[in-house]
Amino acid sequence: MADVRLDGVAKAFGSVQVINDLNLAVDDGELLVFVGPSGCGKSTMLRMISGLEDVTRGRIMIGGRDVTHVAPSRRRVAMVFQSYALFPHMSVADNIGFGLKLARTPPAEIRRRVAEVARTLQIDPLLDRKPRQLSGGQRQRVAIGRSIIRNPEVFLFDEPLSNLDAALRIRMRLEIARLHNRLGVTMIYVTHDQTEAMTLADRIAVVNGGSIEQLGSPMELYDRPANLFVARFIGAPSMNVIPGTVTVEGGVPAIACGETRIRLSAGPVPPGTSDATLGVRPEHLSAVNKGEGDFAGRVEIVEDLGAESLVYLQTGLMADSLTMRVTAGSGLSAGDAIGVRLDPARLHLFDSRGLAIR
Amino acid sequence: MERENRFWRIVLLALPLAVFAVLVVWPLFSSFYYSFTNWNGFDSRYEFVGFRNFAKIYTDKLFLNAAINTAIWMVAAILLPTLLGLGLALLIDSRIPGGTIFKSVFYLPICLSAVVVGQIWVWIYQQDWGLLNTVIWTVTGERPAIAWLAKPETALGSVIVAWSWQQTGLSMVIYLAGLVSIQEELLEVCEIEGASAWQRIRLVIIPLLTPATIVVIALSVINSLKGFDILFIMTGGGPFHSSDTLAMHMYNESFRKYLMGYGSAISVVLFLIALTIIRIYFRQLRKLDEIHG
Repeated sequence: MADVRLDGVAKAFGSVQVINDLNLAVDDGELLVFVGPSGCGKSTMLRMISGLEDVTRGRIMIGGRDVTHVAPSRRRVAMVFQSYALFPHMSVADNIGFGLKLARTPPAEIRRRVAEVARTLQIDPLLDRKPRQLSGGQRQRVAIGRSIIRNPEVFLFDEPLSNLDAALRIRMRLEIARLHNRLGVTMIYVTHDQTEAMTLADRIAVVNGGSIEQLGSPMELYDRPANLFVARFIGAPSMNVIPGTVTVEGGVPAIACGETRIRLSAGPVPPGTSDATLGVRPEHLSAVNKGEGDFAGRVEIVEDLGAESLVYLQTGLMADSLTMRVTAGSGLSAGDAIGVRLDPARLHLFDSRGLAIR
Repeated sequence: MERENRFWRIVLLALPLAVFAVLVVWPLFSSFYYSFTNWNGFDSRYEFVGFRNFAKIYTDKLFLNAAINTAIWMVAAILLPTLLGLGLALLIDSRIPGGTIFKSVFYLPICLSAVVVGQIWVWIYQQDWGLLNTVIWTVTGERPAIAWLAKPETALGSVIVAWSWQQTGLSMVIYLAGLVSIQEELLEVCEIEGASAWQRIRLVIIPLLTPATIVVIALSVINSLKGFDILFIMTGGGPFHSSDTLAMHMYNESFRKYLMGYGSAISVVLFLIALTIIRIYFRQLRKLDEIHG
């Protein structure tokens, strides 16, 4: 087991800077998730840690060892790819035992360890099959098997569940969490799916444009986003953001969004703040009788999800519709005119640069 | 609408099918037909001789000699371009400087006709002023007196070298296409798992190139079975039948000795050999499809 440290790591492809001066410490045994939109540089970060990509500047340490210029095979890392990267001409057993075969481990020892790993991952009946004869979930298990058989110090997962269907993704997510609990080994996981990030991570690094926007525990990111990007990226459905102007009336700060004034109790607003954005999560909105609450709205669409419903509202606050999460059976239907109340303790305010005002 | 579509489908297919029927199907069946006759190629009178032409094949020493030469020719003409093409493709794929230029240079010979290639190599092998003997002379300081194409021991081998020189470019291009289609992540797994360059080639790249290898071998087999023109230009099957292949032997019997019936019987045997090889090829393709999808 080992910790991972990135000191001032940067990466450029020609004149294009893709990673900017990255500093990060991943604790021993921690599961850190890089999450961000496509092309934000999260996979490049992972590939630099694995050694598949050279760094342009900076230093990478694994277990206290400087591995910046060490070959991938000597970093004691294992990587699971989005495409599984299984050798189609090899059986499941040969795929899992590939690393051991390269290391010239005696065949009997390879067979024993492959059987052990296969039992752990519940793929022992599949050992003689070819990857083509397996389902997506089974293939991903084989890929995981190949990575755990060498007892690496760090596991790197590059969007491993992206190719699976929704139900299988949830199951495999759980299995990866179990694997992390059982092995207690350092894992770095890349995904663009914030739900995957929230459910798996000890800590999440939200990546955007080659930089980490915020690093913290899932709930920290959810409850206290550092900026608008994190606020919108973390949480599904994403946070409602309402542009407005900050005013102070009778010593009490408020935000004027169109005709509507919403009093803020989120804390003191720095002097000089004018243009700002109000953020509110869908579950922190509630429906009240028409004429009551903080502002009026008209129900546009109701999406019933079973235990809850998502209500899309047209309001005078913004051009886009506002999303509100309500428990199932709220009785709301398209066309209803309602009042909307905000939970004053759960409002987020961002300045004109998109940074959180706390 | 559907009826109109069907009409046009038939119309558009009719021309290529007619060409195929006249140039391939009809000569094929004619060969079968004439293989049971004693036709001399000119006379309108001929007799049916049953399986006599095929029986003659068993006693024809020149046929046996040509069959052995064909086997040598095929094995060498398959192995050499395949191995050389693979080696060159791996080298060029490893991003050596000037790879694109080398690719064009090695591919160029395949654009030449076999007649041109044959003539170039006749000059290279020329005893007095040929390039090969001149190079040997320069290196060793002694003037060699090797008549490469005129000696039974070296004639077939010399043609095989010329043939391989031409065919290697084709194999190389097919292998290069195969290398491009190998998923990058599979090679990255090799890097992470610690495979040496040789292990990567042996355990991963060559097996993953199996589809390309099958295409290369199939083309080599088909081309080598057809390999007549280059032999005709360079040695004409000689000296003393030392480079006679079945195709060459068939030509000699049909068009030099005017034994069109017997020549047709040889062509039928050649056709059956090709058919067997093609059947094996398709069976392998099916197996491959099961693995790679």
